[in-house]
Amino acid sequence: MTKKLLYKTSKAYLIFSVCVLIISAPLFYCLTEHLYLEETDETLMLHKNEFFKYSLPTLTIADIPNWNKYNRNVKIEPSKNITNDTLFHTSYYDALDAENEPYRELNTPVSVQGKSYTYTSRINLVETEDLMKSIAFLFITIIFILLIGLFVITQKLSVTLWKPFYETLQKIEGFEIDKNKQIHFSETGIEEFNRLNKSIEKLIDRNVIIYKSQREFIENAAHELQTPLAVFQAKIDTLIQCSDVTQQQSEIFGSLNDSVFRLNRLNKNLLLLSKIDNESYSNKQTVSLNELIEQHIGFFTEQAKAKNLSIETKLLETLVIKSNPVLAEVLINNLFLNAIRHNVTNGKIVVTLSNHSLTFSNTGQPTALIHDKLFNRFSKANPSEQGTGLGLSIVKKIADINNWTVSYNYSKNLHSFSVAF
Amino acid sequence: MKILMVEDEVELANSIQNYLTGNDFVCEWAANAKAAIDKILNYEYDCILLDLMLPDSNGFEILKELKRQGKTEGVIIISAKETLETRIEGFNLGADDYLTKPFHLSELLVRIQALVRRKNFKGNNIVTFNEIEINILSKTVSINSVVKDFTKKEIDLLLYLVGNKNKVLSKSAIAEHLSGDMADMLDNHDFVYAHIKNLKKKLNEAGSGDYIKTVYGLGYKWQHD
Repeated sequence: MTKKLLYKTSKAYLIFSVCVLIISAPLFYCLTEHLYLEETDETLMLHKNEFFKYSLPTLTIADIPNWNKYNRNVKIEPSKNITNDTLFHTSYYDALDAENEPYRELNTPVSVQGKSYTYTSRINLVETEDLMKSIAFLFITIIFILLIGLFVITQKLSVTLWKPFYETLQKIEGFEIDKNKQIHFSETGIEEFNRLNKSIEKLIDRNVIIYKSQREFIENAAHELQTPLAVFQAKIDTLIQCSDVTQQQSEIFGSLNDSVFRLNRLNKNLLLLSKIDNESYSNKQTVSLNELIEQHIGFFTEQAKAKNLSIETKLLETLVIKSNPVLAEVLINNLFLNAIRHNVTNGKIVVTLSNHSLTFSNTGQPTALIHDKLFNRFSKANPSEQGTGLGLSIVKKIADINNWTVSYNYSKNLHSFSVAF
Repeated sequence: MKILMVEDEVELANSIQNYLTGNDFVCEWAANAKAAIDKILNYEYDCILLDLMLPDSNGFEILKELKRQGKTEGVIIISAKETLETRIEGFNLGADDYLTKPFHLSELLVRIQALVRRKNFKGNNIVTFNEIEINILSKTVSINSVVKDFTKKEIDLLLYLVGNKNKVLSKSAIAEHLSGDMADMLDNHDFVYAHIKNLKKKLNEAGSGDYIKTVYGLGYKWQHD
């Protein structure tokens, strides 16, 4: 499944951020706790130093009960037989809150008037549970803000940062090499996109040039062929007038004549195709298909006699289209001719005009044609056939430039070509 | 009858000249526009065959020159150009007919005959061959002075055959003539046989001679010995 590029990048960002946050949360907790303890210990030591400096020199044994009475966290207790400063965790029961509170405590041996005592200083610590809760809350908040932030930024980026990219994409999608339409990309202000646009522009320009020169080549070639063809034709016409032509020679002339005729028709069809490409037939008028069909039915009925075909016309509606009249005629004629050419002796042709489409159905070879190459130039089902191999590609081309659709199907022994207008 | 052919392709010009010379025509040839205009200014012609792409000028210039000189010769354009625009421009400049290359010489001949007939039309427009009389205007055929029922297409074929008398006409030439604009849509020329057979039968029934000969493998010939 394909997803948008933005989705993929933001997904990666998001996963990374969440991972970092989740890993950093316990670290952050440890670090915070460590710093907190250090700070607490420092404070305890400070208190102790102050005590030793300011209070101890004047303190007497008699003062001790009073000292202990008015100091909550700093007390002088009977000696606990310790020799060094000792820091440790402990907890005391808080009668007011009815719970145990954690404390950090410093015990130091002191000597008051020569008697050994233990100096005890303690600081109430934040409960571990509370700390964890706070940190968790903090991190969840950060993740939440991050999510919203990423979402908003992604949305914003998609409309601003990626805009030129999507514009380019849209232009390429709408590009068709056989339509004479120039593509121009505007300046994006982003280096990568500019490069992309320039490359595409170059690519398209080069292809258009190649395509055009190829098209011109076909047209020029077809044009240049006309004069030698005319000479060829004229010479044959002259040659057959010779009085002492044998029967064998006569037959050769006959087939030469047919070949010139085919060459000529092939050439004309090539010219027609390149002219359609060059938009020589771009002016449109209203054309009645019914009239066109009726106009030429006589000609094709005559052509169909050789194979003894029956032609049935079902003009169920009057269809008036907007098209170049020459091309509309060429389209119908080619479909008609196609239906005759690929027919079998004693076969039939049905011309149907209904539902805004024109269908030519004909009997023919008993298998369906291979669809994908049907409309290609010079693709023939049977290479030895009389046709030029251009008829259907002309039909397709005319349909394409008018935005009509041509389709083929084979059912009930009938090959049908439909043009939907 | 005198014809001027303006054509730069030597081989084609030779063939046209050969074909026309055998049919009561005098065919003069100009290979470029300058020679053509010289001839037009100095001589009278019944018909001018005009190629559009000439080495020194465009055929249309010759048409314009004809107009300037007030000449009324019939002009048939013979050109490889076949766009609607060039056709229309040609007709607008005074051309009478337009034949696209390549064409059959027989087709050119009947076009010239038809044009000359139209130009020299004096009250009646009748083509006669022995006992056959074709009235172009009323589209009727009479044989031995009896009017017979011929269709438009049959008259067309008859005119074509008579016009090219003693010439071998290939099936494809006949087919193209009969099909007119639709000639490019021809798949085979078999239908010519039916038309010829039909015409032969009609002429025969009307008591006309058997002029249509079959040239084996090639076509037909209107023979008059």
